[in-house]
Amino acid sequence: MSAAITILGQHLLNGVLIGCAYALIAMGLTMIFGVMNIANFAHGEFYMLGGFLAFYLVSLMGLNYFAALPVAVVLVVALAVILQHAIFRRLRDAPMMTTTLVTIGLSIFLEHVALLLWGPQPQSIPTPFPTKPLSFFGVYTTPLYLFCMAVTAALILVGHLLIRRTRMGKAMRATFQNKEASALVGIRIDRIYMYAFAFGAALAAAAGAVLGGFIPVEPTTGGIITLKAFVVVILGGMGSFVGAIVGGLLLGLAEALGAGYMPTGWKDAIGFFAVILVLLFRPEGLFKRV
Amino acid sequence: MSDTGRQRLATAAVCVALFAVPLVVHDEYYLHLFIVSGVFVVAVLGLDLIVGYVGQLSLAHAAFFAIGAYTSALLFVRLQWTMWLGLPSAALFTGLVALALGSVILRTRGHRFIIITVVFAELMRLVATNWVDVTRGFMGLPGLQVPKLYLPGLGAINIASKERFYYVVLVAAVLAYFACRAIVRSSIGRKFVLIRENEPLAESLGISAFRYSMIAFVAGAALAGAAGSLYAHYVGFVSPDLFNFSYVTIMLIMVILGGKGTLLGPALGAVLFTFLPELLREASHWRMIIFATILIVATLFMPRGIIFPLVEHLVPRRWRVRNAGAA
Amino acid sequence: MHALKLTLAVAVSLALAPLAVAQETVRIGVVQPTTGPVAYDGNIYVNTVKMLVDDMNAKGGVLGKKIELVVEDGACNPAQSVNAAEKLVVRDKVVALLGAFCSTSTAAVMEVAKKHKVPLITGISTAAQLTEQGNPYFFRAVATTPMLGNAFGPVLPKAVKAKRFAFLTLNDDWGRSMQASYPKAIESGGGQIVANEFFQQSDLQFLSQITKVKAANPDAIVLAANTQQAVALSKQIRELGVTVPLIGEGSWTSDSYIKLAGPAAEGVYGLVEYVYTIKSPINEAFVKEFQAKLKENPSKFAGAAHNAIHIMVDAIGRAGAADPEKIRTALEQTDYNGLVGNIKFDAKHQAYGQTVYLAHVKSGIPEVVETATIAKP
Repeated sequence: MSAAITILGQHLLNGVLIGCAYALIAMGLTMIFGVMNIANFAHGEFYMLGGFLAFYLVSLMGLNYFAALPVAVVLVVALAVILQHAIFRRLRDAPMMTTTLVTIGLSIFLEHVALLLWGPQPQSIPTPFPTKPLSFFGVYTTPLYLFCMAVTAALILVGHLLIRRTRMGKAMRATFQNKEASALVGIRIDRIYMYAFAFGAALAAAAGAVLGGFIPVEPTTGGIITLKAFVVVILGGMGSFVGAIVGGLLLGLAEALGAGYMPTGWKDAIGFFAVILVLLFRPEGLFKRV
Repeated sequence: MSDTGRQRLATAAVCVALFAVPLVVHDEYYLHLFIVSGVFVVAVLGLDLIVGYVGQLSLAHAAFFAIGAYTSALLFVRLQWTMWLGLPSAALFTGLVALALGSVILRTRGHRFIIITVVFAELMRLVATNWVDVTRGFMGLPGLQVPKLYLPGLGAINIASKERFYYVVLVAAVLAYFACRAIVRSSIGRKFVLIRENEPLAESLGISAFRYSMIAFVAGAALAGAAGSLYAHYVGFVSPDLFNFSYVTIMLIMVILGGKGTLLGPALGAVLFTFLPELLREASHWRMIIFATILIVATLFMPRGIIFPLVEHLVPRRWRVRNAGAA
Repeated sequence: MHALKLTLAVAVSLALAPLAVAQETVRIGVVQPTTGPVAYDGNIYVNTVKMLVDDMNAKGGVLGKKIELVVEDGACNPAQSVNAAEKLVVRDKVVALLGAFCSTSTAAVMEVAKKHKVPLITGISTAAQLTEQGNPYFFRAVATTPMLGNAFGPVLPKAVKAKRFAFLTLNDDWGRSMQASYPKAIESGGGQIVANEFFQQSDLQFLSQITKVKAANPDAIVLAANTQQAVALSKQIRELGVTVPLIGEGSWTSDSYIKLAGPAAEGVYGLVEYVYTIKSPINEAFVKEFQAKLKENPSKFAGAAHNAIHIMVDAIGRAGAADPEKIRTALEQTDYNGLVGNIKFDAKHQAYGQTVYLAHVKSGIPEVVETATIAKP
């Protein structure tokens, strides 16, 4: 009996670990979607770049692991700012098909540049954590897993506070609700867009850098990550940050438990079935827009 | 010669050129590329209906192509149905799948619609990969064949050679083109465009966006399914790789860069973007980087696409048929 | 006028030059994934073949002519592999084909080989049904997973000192074939199967499956995975507190795996058709040359390439002419002694008679601890 509980506990812990990651990535996507009204198909590529840059900083340039993570994120943010300035600034009032096609093109572009620069080999980031597992009542985890959970949870909290408490966050939410009115009261829309895009990219890159320690990153990883992020966002309600967080955790847990007690081949399908159910019975998602 | 006369001559010249391809081109490799182009012409014409004319970005189209391929393959492998039965069945089944999917998602708009189409495609890929009992998963379904053509008086004609199969695909592409042209030139086509340009106005006139989008969605899917069937029998093999996102990408490039909403644009796009990647075989990653860049630049600065405007430019002003479809 | 004639003459000879060159070399086509998810191993294969062909050409080539390799990227994608093969056969007029690495791509290329009547050897694709289709132009120079299982299954319980075996494999024809064929052989050696789990090719984390396997309390875990997933699997298995020995089919003894997996690679057993620590004069020379020119130890894909190209060239030599039909007949009569022992083909063109190895990774080096010979199926 207690063995079954231990196994359940293990599945739950696995689910929370992955769920935190999903939540973080989906928050970034929601940020970009919510403020700029762009479905960022290149979101997974920000995750991938975060991972790869962290890998190169640590393994090839010998940078300290804890320094490399923020540096990798800053580099991706720099890229995001450049992209916003060069491309997305022009798409402020563009139709949805245009913006979507551009992000799809961007996704392909970044993936193949990564393939060209770094080859298809998957890389995991060398971490300074001891690899010996820790166990609590028979449930196993490692210092690295705990670090991942702590960092992702912290970033989610930071993101949440940013949206809710700061002036910037309020400005973003205002833009989100009514662009014209916000512009009229003096909110600089271009600035807000830049912050939203940069922050969204930063969250994805952070997830990639942190998780890259135990989930190898390869240039083609972006696609699956984007898909999972979209699933979470639809489940949680497009444009709701709380929805992204709760949706991410729920998806992680659902996948872990589903895989744990069902044939594992269909693990990924859980999210997709959930999306269809949501669409049929509650199209706005589980949470309303913020 | 009069204008109409010159126009007729030009059209005739194009037809003759298309029919003469296998007589002039003997290189099997190039014939192979022409055949694959033709298959994609059928598929992207269908995509143009929903993306170009109704204006909804569906990323499920490549999945419909693959579903058509698998349907035809399964009917061949399990029931020994030849392509003559398999193709219409594939088109029909794919259309039904689109009907089911559409009834759930065509009421949503905006980004949610686009994302759902991606989710659907991914789900189909999982089914193809995991439902091993039916689809044999990764092992795929090999051994598909091109059937013989039975004509009264002439008996069974072998059409499996590239020279001959080219004509099969040519006929399919021409039929698809005229079918789509008939749709877009009819009142249905005008309603598509009205929905694209001003949906609230259309609704207020009693034109149901849901119903007309559904027509485009199902018709487009059926064409994709038919194309998939042709492809499956020609290549001889289907596997879950057909559900890769790369097919979505290339079809989008064909339609967008070809010129969405023009039929001819995407058709030319299909040919160009079948030949181009093969000719640029060596530069694999650079090739995709360049395509992606062109896609971004064209979307930003050339919303009417590249190919169609170019072709239109070459056609004398007097001949240009007012194209109601072009965006 | 004179200038015009000269230009014409030059143009004509330039146009005819390729034809002239074609008769002077024996052209072999190679379809391998030089891009895509398995590109690393695909490139190793290609570089090995190139290195060995250079050696052969230095010794005079075959049939008195130089061997010319034409390599095309199949990317382990069936459609692309078909295009690659068509180009090689139709445009480059190769007389033989090697490829295409992944079983699904090889299955597709097989059809091209049959259509154009050009012999094809694969040294890597192990999906059982490839040799069941009666394609007379297809030859497989590697043992399939069931054959490997039959050779080693009975030995495993004693060799790794385990009774309860759990399976954790890729959910494709390879992994499924392993889980279908190995259990009987392991049971005949006194073992017991306690779990059967799968993961997808796109999976990056395996925590759920590992947890399920752990719940079954195995003494050893048998896996089928290639480098990228093998690395993640080994690490995550250890991170979840599972300490039992891992036995893997795939790239579990290659340099890249051992380096990337780090401490998690220690103690891993690999079921391989080739490993660089084999003690034989042919292998030692091969390893030395490989280390000098390609700067790493040859992996099983390099071994596969060695077999494939040598068997093909051997057959071309015995055929007496660079004629695909004659080469095909010569292949059927292969009795080749090489890197991994003696290889012959049975009626279905499946290789048998070669030696296979159980290697144990100790301090980063995969030592051979057991060998077996592949029986005629």
